[in-house]
Amino acid sequence: MEKVQTSRSFTVPIGPQHPALKEPEHFLITVDGEIVTKAVVRLGYAHRGVEKATESRNWVQNIYILERICGICSHIHATAYCLGVEKLAGVEVPPRAQAIRVLVAEMERIHSHLLWLGVAAHEAGFDTLFMYSWRDRETIMDLLESLSGNRVNYSVNLLGGVKFDVDDELARLIYDGIDFLEKRTQHYLDVVTSDAMFLQRTRGIGTMTRSQADVLGTVGPTARASNVYRDIRVEAPYGAYGDFPVKIVLDERGDLEARFVVRIKELFESYRVIREILDNLPAGELSTRMPRRIQEGETVSRVEAPRGELFYFIKSNGTDTPERIKVRTPTICNMMSVVKLAVGHQLADVPMIVVGIDPCFSCNDRMTVVDRGQGQRQGWTWEALRRYGIRHYQRLAR
Amino acid sequence: MKLGTMFQDVSSSFLRKPVTEKYPFERRTPPTRLRGTLVWDAETCVGCGLCATDCPANALEVFVLDRKEKRFALSYHPDRCTFCAQCVSSCRHGSLAMSNEVWELAALDRTSFTIHFGDETDVELALAGKTASNAEASSE
Amino acid sequence: MASDIIKDLLVSLAAILFFPGGLFLLLCGLLYEWIDRKLLAQLQNRIGPRWFQPLADVIKLLAKEEVVPEEVDARLFIGLPIVALAGGLTAALYVPFAGLAPSHSFNGDLIVTIYLLSLLSLCLGLAGSNTLDRFSLVGATRTLTQLFSYEAPFLLALLGPAFAAGSWQIQEIATYTETRWLLLSQPLGFLVAVIGLMGKLELPPLDAPEAETEIVAGALTEYSGRGLAIFRLSKGVTLILGLTLIAAFYLGGVSNPAFFFLKTIALLLIIVGLKALFARLRIDQSVGLWWRYGTLLVLIQWLGMFLWGGVMT
Ligand code: SF4
Ligand code: SF4
Repeated sequence: MEKVQTSRSFTVPIGPQHPALKEPEHFLITVDGEIVTKAVVRLGYAHRGVEKATESRNWVQNIYILERICGICSHIHATAYCLGVEKLAGVEVPPRAQAIRVLVAEMERIHSHLLWLGVAAHEAGFDTLFMYSWRDRETIMDLLESLSGNRVNYSVNLLGGVKFDVDDELARLIYDGIDFLEKRTQHYLDVVTSDAMFLQRTRGIGTMTRSQADVLGTVGPTARASNVYRDIRVEAPYGAYGDFPVKIVLDERGDLEARFVVRIKELFESYRVIREILDNLPAGELSTRMPRRIQEGETVSRVEAPRGELFYFIKSNGTDTPERIKVRTPTICNMMSVVKLAVGHQLADVPMIVVGIDPCFSCNDRMTVVDRGQGQRQGWTWEALRRYGIRHYQRLAR
Repeated sequence: MKLGTMFQDVSSSFLRKPVTEKYPFERRTPPTRLRGTLVWDAETCVGCGLCATDCPANALEVFVLDRKEKRFALSYHPDRCTFCAQCVSSCRHGSLAMSNEVWELAALDRTSFTIHFGDETDVELALAGKTASNAEASSE
Repeated sequence: MASDIIKDLLVSLAAILFFPGGLFLLLCGLLYEWIDRKLLAQLQNRIGPRWFQPLADVIKLLAKEEVVPEEVDARLFIGLPIVALAGGLTAALYVPFAGLAPSHSFNGDLIVTIYLLSLLSLCLGLAGSNTLDRFSLVGATRTLTQLFSYEAPFLLALLGPAFAAGSWQIQEIATYTETRWLLLSQPLGFLVAVIGLMGKLELPPLDAPEAETEIVAGALTEYSGRGLAIFRLSKGVTLILGLTLIAAFYLGGVSNPAFFFLKTIALLLIIVGLKALFARLRIDQSVGLWWRYGTLLVLIQWLGMFLWGGVMT
């Protein structure tokens, strides 16, 4: 892109408080006129110390604190954790429970993708699409509420199974809801692929080539929109995905439009899988007994969250609390692509590019200690971390 | 490439009633599984305290007054509760359930945020500290 | 004799301060803002605000502290919203509002009115560049860029009816159009005028200057309290005057109060419909739109008018 050297080059901060971002994150955008010449991201405004907190709670309590890492993809966090812990304990979860887990995960994906569609439309100044997609999203929220009793943080998982069953009446409700949503989704696909004004904001914007996507380590729909074959549900099926396989959705173009198309097409996959699960729901128990102490060992649990691969590392020392839980959320993998792709675009495109990866900021926040002087590594205790935080903010206040 | 692809939605909404619900003027009936406030059944409880141990929010305190006489009391803090229903699942005796009728729990003072279940005299005894709470989670 | 002069003076003063100018105009502006918001909500299947919401907003803003940021010219900061509002109110004197004849009128007042209406964008731009805030600066640049792109086509579109009526006096044009729906003979001009008004008011899809997801509130980012309230009032006034002008010129006159409200609200509905249907344009795209299509359309319109005029004579 042609660059005009003027003295009008200055920086525009987007966040940590900004109407475009509903969560605190700081992007420092250097613009030359309207063209972005440099973008820097700073994480860590909503670091909550969840990983550390898990070490002082028992295995059961941790389901719920981990579920609250993300308000949108809460179920998948709990699922990743439960699958990992069950693997550690060597417990076999009944197939009906696994199927219900996947059912809820796909319903959650629908709610997440529709939510994203609205947010992305709003970023592009297309509030009508925003309002309608969120109106239709209520359908799936209501279904989730009927199934679990809560609209968010459904708490469907238990260690060793699930809490809630799906009966015929509920299944019928879900079928109806899905039928309605499928029609609407087709309409939204038409809108985002044919609306001339909207395409001006998405087609050819933020294009990421396949090799870029590979190098930047992107995951989820962001990667799949650049034709990267990466979907844990397909590559390493977990839970009931072995019995109810999903087809991967790919797109070659890599621009924002492709990300819209991939996410919307994934909705159709979700509808299909949900119908299939409801048609062939395995009979049997909802949960099995779980030991309170988990035998010593460590494991890795990978699942496909709506935003991409979610990674859990779980280590047990044989007691009723975990020794270490490490979470890597998809947004952290996708974040660098934003910084890379923004350069050369207009300032107006930056919010669109940010939102294109479907970011979830508070779940990707983590703390890194950079100590240039010593070049040593050190472990931090919870107490040291706390004291450091207090000192840091006292310094800032002064 | 088309212009105004949402024309159909917009024009059909023109004469349609808005979907926004006018809560609190109009309430819809909550689904049967809605997780509202907790209810406790004193008859079946055995005072094992598992519910309090597993509660992620330290919202439950179980007081054992007399195990043989089956005299137990339960304190519940709806303001801390995250309505996760883990206690309901943890209880092996089905003593806990969540109401789908009482769910508008906001209040202007804190008194309604501590609910004591159990016999009145038992609760008083329990609160007077005459008995040890067996719930580890209740330590604040 | 002297009492006549005083009476005259009082009547004009009342006309300027209360009806049909001043207060009445401000209230009408708020009413139209509410209709705008309510209609948009209806089109998006929402409820929308209650009828007093715009008034409540203004009262709330007036009651709030006005923060004057550091390093700005305080006089400009406080004065600019007032100039913008004064521009709108002055323009109202030449416009046949609510079915009444304009209180002042002279040959060429159309041009004066259009320029007075542009004062709003100009003040917005100046207000934005007056502060050091980066969002304001970007917003101000965009506001002024947009001003320069829509202004010429908008002016030409309003001059079309003037040309047809053979006068540059709003009152005379309005009398001329009373029996003629120029919408039929100058459809392109009408289209450009409506979209030009949307550009002037920075309504979606031409709201790049105040795109909240990019630059917060654009030029008005630093404004709070009274300044913001006055800017909002002047937007309301500009909206209603713009609607009046277009309705008077293109929709067969507004000398009947009932027709006035009917026609302006119908016009507002069109604008709201356009708002609902389109995604926001980037500033380069909207400038491109104006120069590539807007100007071209009016020029075609004018060419048609000249040819038609040639054929007729
Ligand atoms: S619902 Fe969850 S948070 Fe509430 S008391 Fe039960 S276990 Fe605790
Ligand atoms: S888990 Fe059930 S039986 Fe045990 S104390 Fe709680 S309510 Fe009583």
